[in-house]
Amino acid sequence: MPEKMIEVIDLHKSFGNQEILKGIDLNVRKGEKVVIIGPSGSGKSTLLRCLNYLEVPTSGAIKIEGKSFLDEQGKYHEKRVAELRTEIGMVFQSFNLFPMMTAIENVMAAQIKIRKKTKEDARKTAELYLDKVGLADRMNHYPSQLSGGQQQRVAIARALAMRPKMMLFDEATSALDPELVGDVLQVIRQLADEGMTMVLVTHEMRFAEEVGDRIIFMDRGVIVEEGSPEDIFVHPQHNRTKTFIQRVLHPESLEGVQ
Amino acid sequence: MNILNNLDFGTAIHQLTPQLLQGLVIALEATIFGFLLALVLGVLIAVGRLSGRKFLNGVLVVFLEMIRGTPLLVQLVYMFYVVPLLISLVFQFFIPDYQFRMNPLLSGVLGLGINYGCYMSEVVRSSIVTIHKGQTEAALALGYTHRQTMWSIIIPQATRNSIPVFGNYLIMMIKDTSLLAFITVNELLLRTQAYASQTFLTIESYTLLAVAYLILSLPLSQVVRLLEKRLRKHA
Repeated sequence: MPEKMIEVIDLHKSFGNQEILKGIDLNVRKGEKVVIIGPSGSGKSTLLRCLNYLEVPTSGAIKIEGKSFLDEQGKYHEKRVAELRTEIGMVFQSFNLFPMMTAIENVMAAQIKIRKKTKEDARKTAELYLDKVGLADRMNHYPSQLSGGQQQRVAIARALAMRPKMMLFDEATSALDPELVGDVLQVIRQLADEGMTMVLVTHEMRFAEEVGDRIIFMDRGVIVEEGSPEDIFVHPQHNRTKTFIQRVLHPESLEGVQ
Repeated sequence: MNILNNLDFGTAIHQLTPQLLQGLVIALEATIFGFLLALVLGVLIAVGRLSGRKFLNGVLVVFLEMIRGTPLLVQLVYMFYVVPLLISLVFQFFIPDYQFRMNPLLSGVLGLGINYGCYMSEVVRSSIVTIHKGQTEAALALGYTHRQTMWSIIIPQATRNSIPVFGNYLIMMIKDTSLLAFITVNELLLRTQAYASQTFLTIESYTLLAVAYLILSLPLSQVVRLLEKRLRKHA
């Protein structure tokens, strides 16, 4: 039985009176690639952000390799949360590189500050990962001197340099110009092939189909349906799933579905 | 007409310029240390107010209102004449007849630093608030605590973005060192007053003084403008 990397138990999340997540249960096995799809406002990004506690759940539990974010008494300790987060790499829609640091400094910063590595050690690791994402020749550029696609690849290298056990991708290509999406997807694809455990929220359905071991379709705060890419994209069971798949794969032929 | 005939800029320039240069050294000393103090205080007050601690925020708001609600000159005079007395008062509980004295320049530095620190804290605070929350999230996701995020990711950006405004405050502070004449700091104004009252070269002396300040602040304004341009390019 492959070990559970991420365990989500009856997760609820509300913002004010609005309940965004209405009881989510989810397990992610080691090496598994889980892709979350769904219409905007379905809660998929909120779910992803709960996985590393950027959003604190209203109720329910998140466990990373069996370890809960909260202590035995159910209390929140910043140190404990921060430590668990170092095991979870996250890539954002808006890249969020640190603008006052060069590409390589971006990749080195947390290694030095959080992992307590020496500068030389951090630099070596940073060079390794920047090379891996194809930016060996852009190491000393500032984020403002890089294209969106390059910035996102630096952000991926920054996350990987912490040597996390799993990666979260929050619409990593949504903010990119269409011609820059391919390079970023290529990096993610390579990571998937190497066996990294990943949870992705994406609008790239072809990519989801190709890279995902399991597709999760969410709508209005619940998981409506999950299964293999074939289950979801070719033989969806629920009407909501069918409508959504139809709408995103064939936007021109919307009629006749409802 | 008499006044015009008696103008003697030559003598004034000759005699007063060395004086002004000596005063300038003191004014620059006061500015450098005062501004460093203001920077540190500005950042600390801004972080304190954004810490989410209600009591701390309350104390700081009261302090800020006190400083912003009174003139700088009054604060300087208070710092020089009253604060040493208050300190003496406290110390006299332990050491009888203890007299605390404060160097005029030190009082000036403290007064300028505290006053400017309060104004600059508002600049830093608004700069922190406008930094995209994605920066905080990225740092947190990498395993930074909130405190680490604030000091190693947010504050460097906030201070960097504030540099042009800080530059203007620096120029203002150089000019405000003239107020230190009132607490016996031997800077440009005090020296000029002394010279003018000895020689009666009133027009010449004070005109020279004004020109001296202009020579100081005009190039600095230019530097600040350049900095602003460069920062905007790399933002």
